[in-house]
Amino acid sequence: MATNSPATAPPPPKPGDPPSSSTETTPPPPKQPPQPSPSPAKPEAPLSDSKPSTEATVVLVPSHSRWFSLHSIHQCEVRHLPEFFDSPSSSSKNPRVYKYYRNSIVKYFRYNPSRKITFTDVRKTLVGDVGSIRRVFDFLEAWGLINYLPSSSMNKPLKWDDKESKSESGSNTAEPPQPVRENTKRICSGCKAVCTIACFACDKYDLTLCARCYVRGNYRVGVSSSDFRRVEISEETKTDWSEKETLNLLEAVTHYGDDWKRVSQHVGGRTEKDCVAHFIKLPFGDQFLRYRDGGATDDTANQLRQNAAVAEFDSEAGGAAEHSKRMRLTPLADASNPIMAQAAFLSALAGSEVAYSAAQAAVATLSEAYKTTKNHRSFPRNTSLQEAGIASNGGTSSDSSQASRFHANILLEKEELDVEKAISEIIEVQMKNIQDKLLRFENSDLMIEKECQQLEQMKNLLFLDQLSLLFQKQSASKSGERTEGNGVKTN
Amino acid sequence: MKTPASGFYRNPVKFRMPTSENLVPIRLDIEIDGQRYKDAFTWNPTDPDSEVVLFAKRTVKDLKLPPAFVTQIAQSIQSQLADFRSYEGQDMYAGEKIIPIKLDLRVNHTLVKDQFLWDLNNFESDPEEFARIFCKDMAIEDPEVGPAIAFAIREQLYEIAIQSVVSARESRLSKKGRRGAEYAPVSKGGAVAVDLVKLFGPKSSVVRKRKEWDVYEPIVDLLSNEEVDALEAKEERNFR
Repeated sequence: MATNSPATAPPPPKPGDPPSSSTETTPPPPKQPPQPSPSPAKPEAPLSDSKPSTEATVVLVPSHSRWFSLHSIHQCEVRHLPEFFDSPSSSSKNPRVYKYYRNSIVKYFRYNPSRKITFTDVRKTLVGDVGSIRRVFDFLEAWGLINYLPSSSMNKPLKWDDKESKSESGSNTAEPPQPVRENTKRICSGCKAVCTIACFACDKYDLTLCARCYVRGNYRVGVSSSDFRRVEISEETKTDWSEKETLNLLEAVTHYGDDWKRVSQHVGGRTEKDCVAHFIKLPFGDQFLRYRDGGATDDTANQLRQNAAVAEFDSEAGGAAEHSKRMRLTPLADASNPIMAQAAFLSALAGSEVAYSAAQAAVATLSEAYKTTKNHRSFPRNTSLQEAGIASNGGTSSDSSQASRFHANILLEKEELDVEKAISEIIEVQMKNIQDKLLRFENSDLMIEKECQQLEQMKNLLFLDQLSLLFQKQSASKSGERTEGNGVKTN
Repeated sequence: MKTPASGFYRNPVKFRMPTSENLVPIRLDIEIDGQRYKDAFTWNPTDPDSEVVLFAKRTVKDLKLPPAFVTQIAQSIQSQLADFRSYEGQDMYAGEKIIPIKLDLRVNHTLVKDQFLWDLNNFESDPEEFARIFCKDMAIEDPEVGPAIAFAIREQLYEIAIQSVVSARESRLSKKGRRGAEYAPVSKGGAVAVDLVKLFGPKSSVVRKRKEWDVYEPIVDLLSNEEVDALEAKEERNFR
């Protein structure tokens, strides 16, 4: 059955879900139904309210179980508990029975949502074989639809101690948390993922859990949330980037640019992700992101574009760059292209915002000039018109022909506009037509329905009449028989 | 598996519970160190055996019983399952069998007494459905009564099925051939099959006689706490 630990496979995220990372290892079902994603690992995980009970108390359901509805069966229930849906002929295992089990368990829990229900409580009240009831119960509990107490969700250990607790579906089974002793790398004992951001260590039982597992309570029975203490692990403290490494990184990036694999190899000892992350964090680092081929181009437009990009990235990288770092890295600015180096230097000196606006302005004017030079041919009319318009004030004879041309063009434009208007009007009228027709059809539909209903009523009346007639006949014949029978007996 | 219920013709049928689902009634009554655990539920014999241990562990954890119960529970369930399976390959007779089933049970505060006729030949019968409707009709509020009723019915059906297997075996052993129109097989401890001929023949009517009305009427009583305690004490004494 699916649990929400990152190491196993939660179903793919629904389009509207809160963004949360989910690794998907199961093949998506063929029908692409909307499926939830696990809630992000926070103690106040986003809870959505579900149906309130009759006392208007709010029942909380984790956001990854949002699909649940008392009135219908969802695709993922079909997947997890196929026994109820596979054999349509079986009267004991069909969707109706499944719904009955599920709804009664859920109602039982919601009747008093502040206490946890045990399987045995529920089993005693349900008619049916305990194996299937247990599976439904486990499914509901795993998805947080029952026994979900958000205030104490950290105290609830999931009952995955038994290795046999695998459902029939066979897929998405949870791995039992084995306490794993790790030393430097800080692997979480629950989900076996590498802990990066924050970690919770328990000294009593030698457990280390990543934030997600801790919040979800993915640890053994007997361990409570208070035994854990928080250990911050940010990238800097975990893995300090030494000067040498940073230099290596930057060299590699200038050489290989976007090929992070080779960059990480060059740096040595850092994963690709680490390299990228650290590089992005460097204040000026992105300058060099795209200028592998900086030496090849001499085009001024290109240069200015690059400059603009440079300035943009500068501002993106978060302008709190240290002057010393910049100074340290200007040696790298003498790339093969002196112009680019100049641009880099200037933008570094001038500050990100100034460089940004300057670059924008430069780009804008450049593009305009470029455009006008290219599209010169397509503007002959307008430009000449404008010229004509200006020149016609002078009133020379050679302009008279131009003036008439001018008039003709104006008339043409007017005609075009008129035609457009006419077309749109026609379309409107046609739409209105269609609407009217639709209305008429709806009305006639209604009338037909009414007539149908009347017919049904008459049919029922007729049937009743027939029945009563039959009964009368029978009672008449029976009384006849009985008198006969009594007659025989007395004889 | 279904035989045409035609008159007195009997042909053997593979043993199974004469209900639509082949579920085994399991009764547990274990006592360890003065703690008594009584339970009754239905089990699906096609479930793998690992389920038994799982169930035992789960129950012990839920009820907070000492862990010594786990093995006992598992053993008891498994032995009852084995019994059931031992009958499984054999034949049982499926003749005309309408038997009266009696309910006489107490669940928490509810006392249920009832008697009704049940057709053994109907392999589509559903004690669970009956129990559900019973509780609904009698407006029984305690949700634990339903399963108890279903279980009681199932248990009785199971016993009778076993007896029919036994009788089939016996008649085969005796090799005396069919003994003619024996339409009222006497079973040793269970219910006597109702004489269909007498009931539905031309001399009597389908309508039940007045003096039998009380017997066949369901009685549901709600007990007060003292009565419950008194009854429990009596049961304990009988048990000892």
